[in-house]
Amino acid sequence: MGVQSASVDRQRPRRRTDRVAATGAILALAGCVALPLYALRANRIVNGTPLSLGAGGPAAWMLLALAIAAATASFSLAGKLRARVELACAVGMMGALLWALGFAAAHLAPDVTSPARVSIGAGAWVAVAGAAVVWFAAVHARPGRAWRVGALVALVVVVVAAAMWGGLGRLSIVLEYAVQGAAFWSAVWTHIALAGTSLGFAVAIGVPLGVASSRIPWVRTAVLSIVGVMQTVPSLALLGLLVVPLAALGLPGIGPLPAIIALTVYALLPIVRNTYVGLTQVDPSVVDAGRGMGMSRWQLLTRVEAPLAMPLLLEGVRAAAVMIIGIAAVVAFIGNGTLGVLVILGWGGQVDDLTLLGAVPMVLIAVAADVGLRAAGRLVTSPGIRMEVS
Amino acid sequence: MIRLEEVTKRYGETLAVDRLSLEVGEGEVCVLIGPSGCGKTTTLRMINRLIEPTSGRIMVGDRDITSVTPEELRRGLGYAIQSVGLFPHLTVAENIVTVPKLLGWEASRMQARVGELLSLVGLDATSYRGKYPRELSGGEAQRVGVARALAADPPVLLMDEPFGAVDPLNRERLQGEFARIQKELHKTVVFVTHDVDEAIRLADRIALMRDGRLQQYDTPENLLDHPASKFVHDFMGADRALKRLGRVRVDAVMRSEVPRISDGSDAVAAAQRAACTAERFSYLVDQDGRLEGWIDCRLLDRGGSAESAITHVDWRATTVRPDTSLKEALSHMLELGFRSIAVTDETGRLLGDVALAGIETTLTEGDAYSAGGPAEGGAQ
Repeated sequence: MGVQSASVDRQRPRRRTDRVAATGAILALAGCVALPLYALRANRIVNGTPLSLGAGGPAAWMLLALAIAAATASFSLAGKLRARVELACAVGMMGALLWALGFAAAHLAPDVTSPARVSIGAGAWVAVAGAAVVWFAAVHARPGRAWRVGALVALVVVVVAAAMWGGLGRLSIVLEYAVQGAAFWSAVWTHIALAGTSLGFAVAIGVPLGVASSRIPWVRTAVLSIVGVMQTVPSLALLGLLVVPLAALGLPGIGPLPAIIALTVYALLPIVRNTYVGLTQVDPSVVDAGRGMGMSRWQLLTRVEAPLAMPLLLEGVRAAAVMIIGIAAVVAFIGNGTLGVLVILGWGGQVDDLTLLGAVPMVLIAVAADVGLRAAGRLVTSPGIRMEVS
Repeated sequence: MIRLEEVTKRYGETLAVDRLSLEVGEGEVCVLIGPSGCGKTTTLRMINRLIEPTSGRIMVGDRDITSVTPEELRRGLGYAIQSVGLFPHLTVAENIVTVPKLLGWEASRMQARVGELLSLVGLDATSYRGKYPRELSGGEAQRVGVARALAADPPVLLMDEPFGAVDPLNRERLQGEFARIQKELHKTVVFVTHDVDEAIRLADRIALMRDGRLQQYDTPENLLDHPASKFVHDFMGADRALKRLGRVRVDAVMRSEVPRISDGSDAVAAAQRAACTAERFSYLVDQDGRLEGWIDCRLLDRGGSAESAITHVDWRATTVRPDTSLKEALSHMLELGFRSIAVTDETGRLLGDVALAGIETTLTEGDAYSAGGPAEGGAQ
């Protein structure tokens, strides 16, 4: 994704197969046909027996049809029309999958009192991944702003509708959620709070370090090498290593403090490095002109260098955010109630649905952070230096 | 206005500038020129303290430049550089008001100033105001760079090869516009270039430097005619006669009383009328005075048809402007094989013409001047 592939797309002759979308569509197709979309289990813990595609009712057949349609479009259509058809297919596939899951759950395990339940099968994950690939490919082919936004809105509508009327309430992961309830939300908030706090600290520390690195050579050498080395320490090892210095200071080796320290350390590298690179890649003639016209160092930094470095800086923050949302799962090992706890408990008790209940929201939080920070980046970047990304 | 007194800049063992003394009068254009590494850019950058001299003193106006902070000093000195250095994240208008903003001007005054400056440098204010630098061509960016340097109306302008990065055609045009603007504004300008033709065309005085030392500081004419050393002589080049033409504008030798005939939409009738005039060629113009071509009366006299005597031309390709240099005009004439060339304004209206003979006279005058000068190192 990003700048490179966009420019490559532009160089290609128009009427070529959209290979990315084709791959996604075929992936989704494979998810439907070759792997089970859903499985029936006798109770919470035992392995499920795969169900056939038809168990999802009409929505399942629609999913199949849409996957075929997306594949056909990626081969036979071109330009904006293709992008729009693909986008519509991608949204449709996700919606159809949800309804198929709900249908299967409501029809095969309708009894609230019985321990039997329908869970999400491997095919469903593959199908979602395939639909997402089609989506990204379509967005990169420039379907137009209205279509991009419209697709997101449509997806939200379909998800909400499926949740309300589609029988999703009988799906095993939702049943699991009903059991966990308060614990789940507390995990979500702890996860976001830990990652958010750490990101804040990392920005507060990393940006000044990046600025200093861009001005003073010895600071650059020291800072970039130290931060780089810390990045290479495995996260679990870092948590272990922190115990000693914290104990020396009389501080606890478990709980939120070491977690925040560790997450901040990991978030530092991308932020420091991107701040440094962003500032040093500013055209020297621009700096010379600014100085020659009588800007002070501070004015030069705030009015010229910082705005020009901003896109790269925010890219660093985005990368750091996505990374530490992942690492925040690991700090569950030192007594933090993040989503990682659900995953660990699920593993321990062999309750796959509980693991998923931790993992899926984690992915969603990471994606939301990614999308949100990208949008924020576009907002604060001057149109004069905005990169041509779809 | 600007005075350098025994200014020296030393980097370790090397002397970038060696005891340089120079005075630039108010409203004068002083061009610093010399081979690369001669210290010309260093000298310029010492004037606005982007580089601090090792020793010596620099005065701007009547004050020592070290008596104020570098920032305050620089806000009073316009600064334009070869790579332009427009701020890519700001619009043309925002770029131009950089210094006024630092000085705390009011928004309305800055708005008005942007309009003034854009039209001064020949750009349409309404369409260029909101553009971003990446939407500008090289020549347009240079113009905005000059407008930005002029924004706060500084008495002094420091320019470091401001037209160095544009193509020759655009450079020629920018030089012409610079000369026009300078005539209007009378700034004190220190201008660095490595292009001898540019120096000769724009300078009131040229400071030729080599290895950090001033070789000669004089008018372009004197540098051409009375070089102080073999180095100066060689640096100015062998084609001095031609270079001298670079200093003279077309309108200085232009003949404005030229036979012209308005065709009144009937070119043939016009040709017949032309037969009565004494000159061989008559210019053919339309009702607005725009050049359409010319009539060769000798062909008419020999009994040629009226049509055959008429040459239709596109004025854009075959004429020069009044502010074109004679050197360029001569080059056009040689290229086109003409013995004279028509002069028109920007809209093609005929103003007069320049003949080879007129250019020759200019050259001879120059030669006469140089013959009275000292020996020139036996170069010719």
